[in-house]
Amino acid sequence: MKKQFIYIALAALILPSLLRGLWFHRGVPQRPEIATPDFASFAAPEAPVNSSAAGDADNVKEMGGTVVMDLIHGNQFAMNEIESLTRAIKARGGNVENLTDSTSLEYLLRYASAFITVSPSYSFTVYETQLLKRFADRGGRILVFTDATRNSIYYDFISGNPIAYGDANAANSLLSAFDMSVNNDYLYDTEKNEGNFRNVLFDEFGKSELTFGLKQVALYGLRSVESPSGLVLFQAADTTRSSTNDAHDPGQGGAALNAEENVAAIGDFTFLSAPYNAYTDNATLIANLADFALGGEQSQTLANFPFLFSGESVQVFVSPDLIKTTELVSALSGLQSSLRFMDVEVEFVDDVPTSGDVIIIGSFEATEEIEPFAKKFDVEFDGGDYITTVEFGEIGRYGNGILMLDATTRGNTLVLLADTPDDVIALIGLVNGGSLYTCLTSDKVAVCGIGYGGDYYSEPQEEDPPAEESTEGSEGEPEAEATATPSG
Amino acid sequence: MSDAEHRWERIRNGLLWIVIPLILGGLLSSALIPQPVVGVIRLEDAIYSYSAQNMIKQIQYAIDAPEVHAVVLVFDSPGGTVVDTEAVYMELTRLREKKPVVTAINAMAASGAYYLSVNTDYIYAKPTSLVGNIGVIGYLPPAPFVVEDIITTGPYKLWGAPRDSDMRQVEMVKQGFFEAVKIGREGKLTAGDEVVFSGQIWAGTDAVRLGIADAIGTERDAAEKAAELAKIANYKVLDLAGPAGIATGGSFFFIQSPDGMMNLPYPNEAGIFLLYIPPLPVK
Repeated sequence: MKKQFIYIALAALILPSLLRGLWFHRGVPQRPEIATPDFASFAAPEAPVNSSAAGDADNVKEMGGTVVMDLIHGNQFAMNEIESLTRAIKARGGNVENLTDSTSLEYLLRYASAFITVSPSYSFTVYETQLLKRFADRGGRILVFTDATRNSIYYDFISGNPIAYGDANAANSLLSAFDMSVNNDYLYDTEKNEGNFRNVLFDEFGKSELTFGLKQVALYGLRSVESPSGLVLFQAADTTRSSTNDAHDPGQGGAALNAEENVAAIGDFTFLSAPYNAYTDNATLIANLADFALGGEQSQTLANFPFLFSGESVQVFVSPDLIKTTELVSALSGLQSSLRFMDVEVEFVDDVPTSGDVIIIGSFEATEEIEPFAKKFDVEFDGGDYITTVEFGEIGRYGNGILMLDATTRGNTLVLLADTPDDVIALIGLVNGGSLYTCLTSDKVAVCGIGYGGDYYSEPQEEDPPAEESTEGSEGEPEAEATATPSG
Repeated sequence: MSDAEHRWERIRNGLLWIVIPLILGGLLSSALIPQPVVGVIRLEDAIYSYSAQNMIKQIQYAIDAPEVHAVVLVFDSPGGTVVDTEAVYMELTRLREKKPVVTAINAMAASGAYYLSVNTDYIYAKPTSLVGNIGVIGYLPPAPFVVEDIITTGPYKLWGAPRDSDMRQVEMVKQGFFEAVKIGREGKLTAGDEVVFSGQIWAGTDAVRLGIADAIGTERDAAEKAAELAKIANYKVLDLAGPAGIATGGSFFFIQSPDGMMNLPYPNEAGIFLLYIPPLPVK
């Protein structure tokens, strides 16, 4: 009996716990094995250093030439960021001249082999674009670097939101003249990249001197570029996309060349700076860019004046019919100084040389030395008071001078002709001034009004009226002097 | 023995052998079988040393407390530092080995906060909660230069690392994050890697559609799910901040505006972060 009570008591003791357990619990939870990443297995991607890359200064060919570096378009870079390129240019005997004011552009382009602009933020003016178009048409080369990471940040007045203005619009103001464009985007590749999705690897290249020897290049934060009539130099892989629409466009790439193959646009310039210049084949690319920049040879025309001579010396032949008077000697010494300023030595010769750079100075009295050039450029002197030219028709003989440029593979010859010794001296003076702004010019022939002529002195002059008569009726007021003209 | 005495005897035995044990059993069961608790841990701040330590204390409490059978993580966080996020992530793993954990996203579980979310058993979001932003953001150190009045013993003593190394370190951190997402959301993601790891931040409904989150729901739904996974009923929901001894306060993770009135959404020191930086607020 007692035993039964103990069982009942035990059951009563347990029952609340049982009920409570059933009230609160619906079973025994089984926990799954919790998987986590194997953190120790992760490693930072290694830098693709290419120790056998080109660009070694000992193995480059001497090219010479001048590259104009644009600094007038709010260019968003520091010189040390493109040092690998400027160093490669200098290693090839090239010279980098900075464009620091817009008025110098036309002058610098006369003798430059290439013009480089890096991440411009101000648009090129119509005049600048025309100058650069003509420069490229003459055989000069243009390199345009943009970069998706270079932006000017402004804040919206209403919302306060930041707005980034990049370099695409400014670059396009120039590139549009060459049927090229850079897009206001950035390229990325989440599958195949160099350490980060925005660092794009390229291993398909358009055939060009710029891509010679390249197997793979890496660009860092780049814009896409297009050249519908030209060539995409760095072709984006199918996995490479534009930030504009997160899509791949085979017409876009990391770099492009125009149809004439003398203007290149590259969507990035970070690859020029250390350490990225030593990754993949970037050093080879930089060497190719330097070769490209210095490989531009302008066809010599009078637009290049006064930079018509590429040699270290120029031979000057003065026609025997010109007596070397004091005035002529002074003019010739001025010519010598001007040429020395351009690192060109002058050598006076008695016969017209058959090769090398030459300046021939003579009069319209055609001599056997002058005649071949006159014939070559269809200039006729035997028309009495006029000289006949193909480009400008009949030109008054008096007070005008003629320049003819004969650019050949043997050297360039500049012929200076005028009617009288005084006009010749004036023409030399104009040439010494380094400008043909006062001349009618074509590629090879220029006619310059030099303001004086033998006729000026031979024409009878009207005598000035007596002073008393001239002041009549205008007492106290100075009278304007009559301006002498060649015709009197 | 009279009938009355028999009755009294039965009552006395009943009291002695049934009622008293029942009362004692009731008292004992209350002590032995406490009402199950679904603990709530809130992260309504960026993840940095202070907030991470608070979370870890609560997680450890949840691990140790027998009455806590499941945990709900409630997020309104843009993420934060890498190391603090990883620290919480590892503690969460220890908790999950013992007890189910469910996420309830309020306004936002972005970047590092989402990193933590994927280490839970189920993710609820509100229809317009901001979810995702999977990825890493790093502020590179400046290019090294020397300062007249600061003497160091190596070129990177002042700057920490070359810029290029920092970039690559960001990529390494990314691998850990992406792997955590792949493991945590295995079999649930309906979108490809190019979408999931694009760094986008989605509204809750989109997040559910893409498998970034499991369902639209509230904290209550999360508690019910946690209880279901823990196989408990008639539970109580308890904020673990109090029992874990979390003090209120904190330090500033974000930059202050010059007038001190506004937290700008940028961390107040350079580094690598698992952080969503929203656009600046409209003036």
